[in-house]
Amino acid sequence: MMGKGEAPAPREPEEEEEDTGGVVKLISAEGFEFVVDKKAAMVSNTLRNMLTSPGGFSETRQGEVRFPEISTHVLEKICQYFYWSLHYSSGKETTEFPIEPEITLELMMAANYLDT
Amino acid sequence: MGSACSRKRGQLVHEDDLYSARFSKSGSFKWLLHTLPRSNSADVHRRGQGPAPGRCPSLMELCVAKVREDMNRYSDFSQLPRDLSQQIFNELVESGYLTEASLGAFHDCDLQDICLGEYPGVTDAWMEVVASQGQSLLSVDISCSDVTDSGLNLLKDCSSMQSLACDYCDRISEHGLKTLSGFSNLTSLSIKKCAAVTAEGAKAFANLVNLVNLDLERCPKIHGGLVHLKGLKKLEKLNMRYCNCITDSDMKYLSDLTNLRELQLSSCKISDFGVSYLRGLHKLAHLNLEGCAVTAACLEVISGLASLVLLNLSRCGICDEGCENLEGLVKLKALNLGFNHITDACLIHLKDLINLECLNLDSCKIGDEGLFHLKGLVQLKSLELSDTEVGSNGLRHLSGLRNLQSINLSFTLVTDIGLKKISGLSSLKSLNLDNRQITDTGLAALTSLTGLTHLDLFGARITDAGTNCFRFFKNLQSLEVCGGLITDAGVKNIKDLKALTLLNLSQNGNLTDKTLELISGLTALVSLNVSNSRVSNSGLHHLKPLQNLRSLSLESCRVTPTEIKKLRLAALPNLISVRPE
Repeated sequence: MMGKGEAPAPREPEEEEEDTGGVVKLISAEGFEFVVDKKAAMVSNTLRNMLTSPGGFSETRQGEVRFPEISTHVLEKICQYFYWSLHYSSGKETTEFPIEPEITLELMMAANYLDT
Repeated sequence: MGSACSRKRGQLVHEDDLYSARFSKSGSFKWLLHTLPRSNSADVHRRGQGPAPGRCPSLMELCVAKVREDMNRYSDFSQLPRDLSQQIFNELVESGYLTEASLGAFHDCDLQDICLGEYPGVTDAWMEVVASQGQSLLSVDISCSDVTDSGLNLLKDCSSMQSLACDYCDRISEHGLKTLSGFSNLTSLSIKKCAAVTAEGAKAFANLVNLVNLDLERCPKIHGGLVHLKGLKKLEKLNMRYCNCITDSDMKYLSDLTNLRELQLSSCKISDFGVSYLRGLHKLAHLNLEGCAVTAACLEVISGLASLVLLNLSRCGICDEGCENLEGLVKLKALNLGFNHITDACLIHLKDLINLECLNLDSCKIGDEGLFHLKGLVQLKSLELSDTEVGSNGLRHLSGLRNLQSINLSFTLVTDIGLKKISGLSSLKSLNLDNRQITDTGLAALTSLTGLTHLDLFGARITDAGTNCFRFFKNLQSLEVCGGLITDAGVKNIKDLKALTLLNLSQNGNLTDKTLELISGLTALVSLNVSNSRVSNSGLHHLKPLQNLRSLSLESCRVTPTEIKKLRLAALPNLISVRPE
């Protein structure tokens, strides 16, 4: 398992065999749906485990994950982070990732849950 | 997150290497805490601004950094999950942003680790919040703080505590130490340089039956207090270095601590009789008696300590007679016999200590014949022969020590001819030849040692011609050539040693500003010394690219403190040590 803060999925050689194609649907507490690339979602170690563990989670089959405890605006921020992280790691992103003070703590709790 | 916390706890008791001097800010320099950067602050700074190339900051790290930035928005973290508030707390401490005011937000947060060691401004007023963590609190470090008895007493209900460090807390009295007796879950206690640890004050230790690590270094009044340790059967590590009031009569209370693995007694006032109380400590792996008034007679007792891996007898009164008792200590990996009266006759008893990796014979009366007995010690990585009578002939006995990484031949009788014999030691990384007999010829014999990272030719008579050899030592991180014979022409052979972090060219009176120009590309340099040369104010500007420079010495040159100061302000922000100042 990868530690937090290490480079995300695409850098690991073994990942090449993994199915990182396609999209996954992330659903917020209010029922709002975010469709993101699977590759992006797997920046989160928690999601990665869900999406890659063989036959384990129903989420894998249905291609959607529900987050009854994460509100829409926080989930949106998290999706933005996933893409920021991918760009950062490939050297395309150099600007800071903006975080609004109002949501910092909520975002932090979600980041903790998602191990990202 | 949990792992980060436990790592912190583990760090509270230092794994002191007996052979490395550890710099620590001591209590008497508390005022410096306000001016020195926190040890990790540079990293944190970097993390806040975006980490090292390639490594993406986690969202968690970004959030923690953001909270730190906006700390004035927060007054209460008690509703946050514990591991999150712990991360915020750690970040504030590491970055030096924690204040008495912001600490208030951590009231009742169930924090497990409060590591405020060496943090500036910690007083009793902070301890109320520390204590509010209650039974969650597992580890506290308030070293170098101004906490007093009443501050310490606030912690009395935090009885889950496993680790406590209050080194250099000079406001805590004998009476205050009584609080400690309630912490019966403590496995680690560090209370360095505390005058309150007296025969009376030490009573508090008697209850701490779970202690595994106890650090009482530099407690100046501990004499008579060790009686309270005798029931601490779980103790594995006990540090009493520089407790120079400890005498033989104190030692008897250690005799039943049979789980002891590490015992540090350097500079205690103990004699052979005191050592005799250690007879039964069969698990002892590290024993440090440096500077104790013991003689070779104590080796009879030590010879029974068959688990010993590290034995430090430096600066004792050891003579040859009795050294035969060293023969059986075959597990020894490190042996320090420096500054004793031993001769070649002692070394014969070391020949079967084939696990030795580190041997120190500094300033002993040994010579070429003695080295013959070291021939078979093929695991040796480090050999210290400084200030001995070892000469060129003796070095042939060392030519088979293929694992040798470090050898010190300074102030020996070794001459150029001898160096051929160590030219095959390709593992060598550190070589000290600070010795007037060594010249260019000797250095030329060593060009095969391409792995060298540290080369000390301080007093060797190396000329510009000899500096041609330096191009074989591309990995050099430190170089000292101070024999007086180097000119700017020789420095041309130094300018490409890009890995250099330390360069000492002092005493070479002919060096000019040209030298500074030549070395201006050595941007890794942290320490530079060109004292006693013709370097002048007008050459200083060449040093501007040396952004990592922390120490600069230009004594007895044609430079003025004012100009150096200007340089520091204009271009060298990391410069903290400057001569002349």
